[in-house]
Amino acid sequence: PSLPEGWTAEKDFKAVGTLSAATQRNLEPVGPHFLAHARRKRHHRTFSEDERI
Amino acid sequence: MSDQTNGTPERFAIGISFGNTSSSIARLNPEGKAEVIANEEGDRQIPSVLSYIDGEEYHGTQAKAQLVRNSKNTVAYFRDYLGKDFKSIDPTPCHNSAHPQPSDSTVAFSVVDTTSETPSTVTVSEVATRHLRRLKQSASDYLGKDVNAAVITVPTDFSDAQREALTASAKAAGLEVLQLIHEPVAAALAYDARPEATVADKLIVVADLGGTRSDAAVIACRGGMYTILATAHDYELGGATLDQIVIDHFAKEFVKKHKTDPRENARGLAKLKLEGEAARKTLSLGTNASLSIESLADGIDFSSTINRTRYELLSNKVFAQFTSLIEQVVKKAELDVLDIDEVIFSGGASHTPKIAQMARNIFSEKTKVLAPSTLTGALNPSELAPRGAAIQASLIQEFEQEDIEQSIHPMVTATPHLKNAIGVEFTSGEATEFQSLLNTETALPARRVAQYDVPAAGGDVLIRVCEGVREIKVTKPEPKPKEEKAEDEDDSDFDSDDEEEEIREVVWKTEKPVAELAVKGVKAGSKVELMVHVNADLGLQVTAREVGGQNAVRGVVQAA
Repeated sequence: PSLPEGWTAEKDFKAVGTLSAATQRNLEPVGPHFLAHARRKRHHRTFSEDERI
Repeated sequence: MSDQTNGTPERFAIGISFGNTSSSIARLNPEGKAEVIANEEGDRQIPSVLSYIDGEEYHGTQAKAQLVRNSKNTVAYFRDYLGKDFKSIDPTPCHNSAHPQPSDSTVAFSVVDTTSETPSTVTVSEVATRHLRRLKQSASDYLGKDVNAAVITVPTDFSDAQREALTASAKAAGLEVLQLIHEPVAAALAYDARPEATVADKLIVVADLGGTRSDAAVIACRGGMYTILATAHDYELGGATLDQIVIDHFAKEFVKKHKTDPRENARGLAKLKLEGEAARKTLSLGTNASLSIESLADGIDFSSTINRTRYELLSNKVFAQFTSLIEQVVKKAELDVLDIDEVIFSGGASHTPKIAQMARNIFSEKTKVLAPSTLTGALNPSELAPRGAAIQASLIQEFEQEDIEQSIHPMVTATPHLKNAIGVEFTSGEATEFQSLLNTETALPARRVAQYDVPAAGGDVLIRVCEGVREIKVTKPEPKPKEEKAEDEDDSDFDSDDEEEEIREVVWKTEKPVAELAVKGVKAGSKVELMVHVNADLGLQVTAREVGGQNAVRGVVQAA
């Protein structure tokens, strides 16, 4: 982190760009972390919702 | 069945690695550690061989021994023939056992497997079923429970037809296939599922050096999830290639002494193969191996020794083929050897110390080479795939089949992956530095949290979240010796070799800024915590706050 000089933005946040396009790839359906991912995706849950259950 | 409750038998699953040369069975023991099961002969690497004498079936090591006296009724190296038609297979490995033949749309073997004199035609699917049935039986005997399900490892280039054929063969053997998983991923899981391992973002190369073929894969491991970036295969390279060197060495010695070549006689060759392989394996453990064969050719006994130095000298070219397969796969993934964090050696031929040592020289100091000769904590390369399969089997054995199918459906596995890394840019004076938080090839959605030191004085802090790209910086050494030379006196032995080589290093460059956040009034010596959450649609949420502080700065960046 660096010090700002005369930097202002609404609510101290400024979006200055977007991400470049993602590449579509296949995940390997293996391991505990994938199974957690699959569960979230199938039930359309977010990370925090998943943690609460 | 004793476990039969409300009509459906309980599922009891193991992990199976099914290879052309050998197969293994594994389970998760009650302490939660993956463990490879030995069969009733005490073998953990069970040769994938079936042999028939007088209608009786022999399996594993016993069947392999029959390659000498009963080669026509012995079936070996059949895994890669499953689900293929005769025209597309390479029958070379079967020269010294029952030959594959075309049969309808599949491959079959003609063997005398009953007490009658006439040979019967056994399809490769049936051979696989018999082999898997024996594996299932060995596991059931050991565990004292009827094993009725399995996770089986397959190569990354296994086609759908091959997968279907394998699943059908397993079903016929009384095994429900819960899932087929890729061999290199199973190897990675075997390492990552150990209790002492921590989940980290890393790029792994898995070198699976088998008996008759070798495969390599580059895998991105992000947040404990695996994505295969590239694969390379060599269908003629493996332990058998190394065996051939040992065989030729001894055969030449025999010819010199007795003027007859044992390789010209089928039985002599079979004996040499069996003993040569054993000698080659001994050389992976010790520095000396002896070989003695009764009546090798013309009734002459033969006995000799070979030391490791000699063997390594003879095998240098083949070793280089193994390492070039590794280099090839890294190149195919459009990566540099500097990007690789771990090299996992898997498969039987990975026990060869020299191969891992040669790979060690390709990669940078930071790269971990996981093989017995380069890392004392390394797992047995032969056991990685079955262990990984056993871990996966234990994870999913409680699931309904429908749940498993839905989870491994392409709808779930096809996921956007980050093209560039996301991180934070640091400025100190003129220089800017980029520290990545979410790496390239991270599957989305993903979230990462990190803490950063603030400037010593504290005060207001600006955080620039950026996209970064990795570049390889090549520094050509100066033609004249450097000034620091005097200081480096002790290192001169090492430097002299590297002098002409250029210095290559990984450098991160900021590609484009994404968001800026200001955290105001941070105390001196405190830290700032930053959380970045990237959605599957590439939108992202960023939150920053002083560690221990109440006021967080939040923002959302919309997708492009």
